[in-house]
Amino acid sequence: MSNYFYVSPEQLIKDRAEFAQKGIARGRSIVASLYDRGVVMVAENPSASLNKVSEIYDRIAFAGAGKYNEYDRLREAGVRWADSMGFTYAREDVDARALANYYAQHLGDMFTEGQKPLEVEVLVAQLGSALRPTKLFRILYEGTIADEPRFSVIGGDAEVIRERFTRAVPEVVDLATTLRQAVTALAGPERTIPIPELEVGILEDRGERRTFTRLADDRIAELLGEG
Amino acid sequence: MGLPLFRPTHDPGPSFLGLTEALGVAPEWGPTGSDVPHATTVIAVRYAQGVVMAGDRQATGAYIASRDVKKIGAADRFTAIAISGSAARGIELVKFAQLSFEHYEKMTDTVLSLEGKANYLSPIIQRNNLSSPLPVLPLLAGYDPTQRAGRIFEYDGAGGCYERTDFATIGSGSPFAEGALRLGFRADLDLESGLELAALALYEAGDNDPSTGGPDFVRGIFPMMVVLDATGFRELSIDEVGERFRRINERRAESRGVAGGSLR
Repeated sequence: MSNYFYVSPEQLIKDRAEFAQKGIARGRSIVASLYDRGVVMVAENPSASLNKVSEIYDRIAFAGAGKYNEYDRLREAGVRWADSMGFTYAREDVDARALANYYAQHLGDMFTEGQKPLEVEVLVAQLGSALRPTKLFRILYEGTIADEPRFSVIGGDAEVIRERFTRAVPEVVDLATTLRQAVTALAGPERTIPIPELEVGILEDRGERRTFTRLADDRIAELLGEG
Repeated sequence: MGLPLFRPTHDPGPSFLGLTEALGVAPEWGPTGSDVPHATTVIAVRYAQGVVMAGDRQATGAYIASRDVKKIGAADRFTAIAISGSAARGIELVKFAQLSFEHYEKMTDTVLSLEGKANYLSPIIQRNNLSSPLPVLPLLAGYDPTQRAGRIFEYDGAGGCYERTDFATIGSGSPFAEGALRLGFRADLDLESGLELAALALYEAGDNDPSTGGPDFVRGIFPMMVVLDATGFRELSIDEVGERFRRINERRAESRGVAGGSLR
């Protein structure tokens, strides 16, 4: 006779949510925001090689907060999904909304059916074109998906950082100002983040098919200086 | 198509070929008929700062199937891939190579080395050619930023990959192009001499091989010419290429079609 104790569904969901939130809170946050010419993603990342912000496709970027191995697996799946979609159909048919929905379904499934919920939050950004608008999708650990109009924050201190950023940047402005305010919001009032610990990726049209660029440290310094 | 997640033991890694096979969307490399349109002569020549390439524009079956095929494509910023053999397969191969190199770059956040790119194509060519009576033979050329030099890789029908230190030709007009290249090639050609030699060699191929298209002054269609150097891949404008072939044509008209003792 085995000893199974009854756990109410409410309690089970609460426990799982607490577990995931704790895991996510251990990681640093990420701010993604529209600026006048594109989308910028700013992450606090002490590692120069384990990326939080990455390219998915010609006009789609990805950011992950929480457990590295878990969000990096999602990033890889995103690159694979986008490249095989573009190969089967056409490059213009690859849509960030579809990818965000798959992420939401997967995170939702893992939350209710997995051995443990994934301790991650992810962002999918799309640079607009004649076919599609510029979009930011935020997907939480339990599969909640939000379509954010101007900026989005994921990770441990998301709520506090969101407050700071929304007050500092009430509308879409240029890259330098957006970047400076995002870094200030990430750091908070008592801290400054050294430039080598910043990871910044942008989606911006430069007349080429691919629009993603990861900004080098000297370019970040230059932008923070002029902002 | 759902989210492609794999267990670590079944992960295809950064290979796009491996991914398409795992997902069941890999191209069919089955046999083709023998009279499908095929594309003809492409040349790559090393010069002091990189590689120049030239390719004709004609696809030939039992008759001329197309007069404006582009047989040289940019596989990425520093790499070009050209095709001869079945046009349909070749164009698919170029597209597949482009996607593969970009896929690798995004998956690993590093650029595949030029030699890595050359080796990656071997099994694809092998698989295609062993099942088809009309083989596809590509030519891979690029600027290698680590060696700071142009490099050329050619393939045999079984997928073997060989690096060439001087020049390479593919397609049915190869014997004629090769003749001109052997006479005209020198180590440390400058860009202008490299372009002129490649244009002359292609002119010879178009002159002698019925499946290779020469410059078409009636329709204004000219061979495609490409330069790969430290700044990357660039295709020469149609005016620039047209002018070069017009000059060659005038010289040949003066000598009534005889190339003469020196390369003209």
